[in-house]
Amino acid sequence: MTATIKSNLPVFVVIMPLFVAFVLPTFARRIRLVEGLVTATTALGFLGAGYLASLILIQNGNPINYSLGGWSAPWGIEIQVSNLSCFFLLMVAGVSLPIALFAADNMTHEVGGPQQTTRFYALYLLLGGALAGMAVTSDLFNVFVLVEVATLSCCGLVSSSNHPWASEAAFNYLILATLGSALILGGIGFLYIITGHLNMEFASHELNRVWQGYPHVVWIAASFLLVGFGVKSALFPLHVWLPDAHSAAPSPASAILSGLAVKGYAICLIKVLYNVFGIALIQDFGIHRILTLLGMIAIIAGSVFALTQDKLKRRLAFSTVAQVGYIFLGLGLANSQSLTGMLFHMASHAVIKSGLFLAAGAIIATTGKNRISEMAGVGRKMPITMAVFTICSVSLVGIPLFSGFVGKWHLLLGSLEAGNRLAQAVIIVGSVLCAAYLFPIIRVAYFEPTPVADCRDPGLPQMIALIMLAAWVIILGVVPGPFLELAKRAAIDLLVMK
Amino acid sequence: MKTLLDSLMVNYPYFAAMILFIIGAFTVLTRSNLFKKLIGINIMESAIFLMFIAAGNIRGGAVPILDKANPKALYINPLPSALMLTGIVVSVSVTAFALALIIKLYQFYGTTDARRIAELKKEVASR
Amino acid sequence: MRDFILKRVAALLLPFIQMYGLYVILHGHVSPGGSFAGGIVVGLAFIAFTTIYGLERGRAKVPEKVTTLVESYGTLWYGMMGMVGVFKGAPFLANKMAGIDLGELGALSSGGLIGLIGLGVGIRVASTMITLFFTMMEEEP
Repeated sequence: MTATIKSNLPVFVVIMPLFVAFVLPTFARRIRLVEGLVTATTALGFLGAGYLASLILIQNGNPINYSLGGWSAPWGIEIQVSNLSCFFLLMVAGVSLPIALFAADNMTHEVGGPQQTTRFYALYLLLGGALAGMAVTSDLFNVFVLVEVATLSCCGLVSSSNHPWASEAAFNYLILATLGSALILGGIGFLYIITGHLNMEFASHELNRVWQGYPHVVWIAASFLLVGFGVKSALFPLHVWLPDAHSAAPSPASAILSGLAVKGYAICLIKVLYNVFGIALIQDFGIHRILTLLGMIAIIAGSVFALTQDKLKRRLAFSTVAQVGYIFLGLGLANSQSLTGMLFHMASHAVIKSGLFLAAGAIIATTGKNRISEMAGVGRKMPITMAVFTICSVSLVGIPLFSGFVGKWHLLLGSLEAGNRLAQAVIIVGSVLCAAYLFPIIRVAYFEPTPVADCRDPGLPQMIALIMLAAWVIILGVVPGPFLELAKRAAIDLLVMK
Repeated sequence: MKTLLDSLMVNYPYFAAMILFIIGAFTVLTRSNLFKKLIGINIMESAIFLMFIAAGNIRGGAVPILDKANPKALYINPLPSALMLTGIVVSVSVTAFALALIIKLYQFYGTTDARRIAELKKEVASR
Repeated sequence: MRDFILKRVAALLLPFIQMYGLYVILHGHVSPGGSFAGGIVVGLAFIAFTTIYGLERGRAKVPEKVTTLVESYGTLWYGMMGMVGVFKGAPFLANKMAGIDLGELGALSSGGLIGLIGLGVGIRVASTMITLFFTMMEEEP
């Protein structure tokens, strides 16, 4: 029994949330059962991801290959658990568990009755399953299908809010995201036309053998994929849907959208660029320069936009645009240090931004105020929530001993190695701007005189969720050991030509 | 010039796909009517499907169903068609979801024009 | 009385449309078509019934409870069929490796589990189309 579970674990971590999601609507009458099932599924996913990660660390990063239906690679669909997959799986499971806990018994004011809440949970699990699938898949068409599943559930999560503008935000998101997925499908189509393979490894071999014959097609494929995934992961000029969608969504949904969904598409882009095109082709075509430039623009522009927002959730949403810039910057610098930093920053930002959005959600839910200028004195009334918010902010700025520092430090080392002075300057200026848009919130919350308002910390499951996220931030900052090791190995894997 | 025209004659499905894609993308980005945006998305996706299926076609190939009398016949590649069936399913669900959102937007704002909705939203926000 | 011809024709034709849809679903692995196409045909039969006989009688034929159940367990059925392979010690979704007798080439049973999976997917697609149609009909402003 245990042997069966062990050998099939790579596929179980993906299908378990998907199938539980589909069964949930039949239990809509018993909302407690639904919440229990969701929490149990995410917890089991966390255990599975942890086990896979330990397995990969023990066997020195040799990937586990799993052929669906017993059909091996070029014919069948292959699932590959590599260092990168384990890293992303751990990240997905580690963040989605606290978010599920936070959502428990806390959705009525933002979503509605048990029927709507059940649908919210179903979409939540679908998104979790799709993200886990993105981590382990090694088939190009599966990438498209999973991206679509994730996109539709993201739009559903946004529109599940009873905020009056949610439908409009969801519609804009849906239209732009579908434009993006059409481009992604087109890019995959061009790759399939010139290589004749959908499996990433085989497509990569074939592409590196024949690309000289079709340089224009490779260019078009790369640009389609870059723009498609860029729209979905909110790369700066293509981010227009993000602030509306992420601020209109219910708080747990904002947390998972900003924390994980955006990174899921980035992971897909990383897989397609580094595992299919390969580092040699990226450098031949100069794709890394485009990525670096776009990343730098995103960091500065996102931070500046965030400074001008007065609504708390909108400021956090623009901060996500800036942090996505770091991911693309790290991708573009294309050396092992910068890739390590990029992956680690991705994980720490997932944890931090989920914590920030959940804390913001708790504050907005109890005080009923969503503007930063109205939050005077919240810190004294809701000590634990605000403490978590402070820890996450400090970490995002990149103070040592918090998780944000490790990622940014490696990114800096990477830019030193690449000899890119502009990138170093941008990373540091980005941190300063980050402090400039996050610290005023803390100042207002703690040091402004307290107005007469009745608000206090949220219930027990919400507190556990917030404290769990804060603990992740500190653990990742103080003892990054095994996690950093996984990121390093994943970065080296990406740079090795197969 | 002659070779370009020749390749166009041979590869006309790709040319058609390109034109359809541009029409679709143009419609999505420039029209403010929500329904027209949705139709643009559908045209764009059809263009991609056409490109994929044209890639799987082999001139003179038979339908890829095993014919016991002639098992070595030349078949067209069935994989792109099968993949595009998945793509069509996805596109149907996107369309259904978008239509549902349009109904909701119409109930709330009383219009299906994106520009008008943005104006109404600004009015509400300023009040 | 106005829709007399329409109603009679529908009553005659709809059973055959549904039969055809089920045929397409079940023969998905040996002939063109498949569970998605067949499921759409089955769903369209119900949609045609609703447009001709009215929303209330259509809803009575397929209550919301039924569609919810079919949608949930249709998908779970797919998962269960996939798990057959796992229980037999083969990978997920395994067919021949799970020791299923695939019979003669071209026969209806030659798909093994694929036919069964297709059945689940087919009724799920049908019920999804019906749900979409009803949702849009009921929400009409």
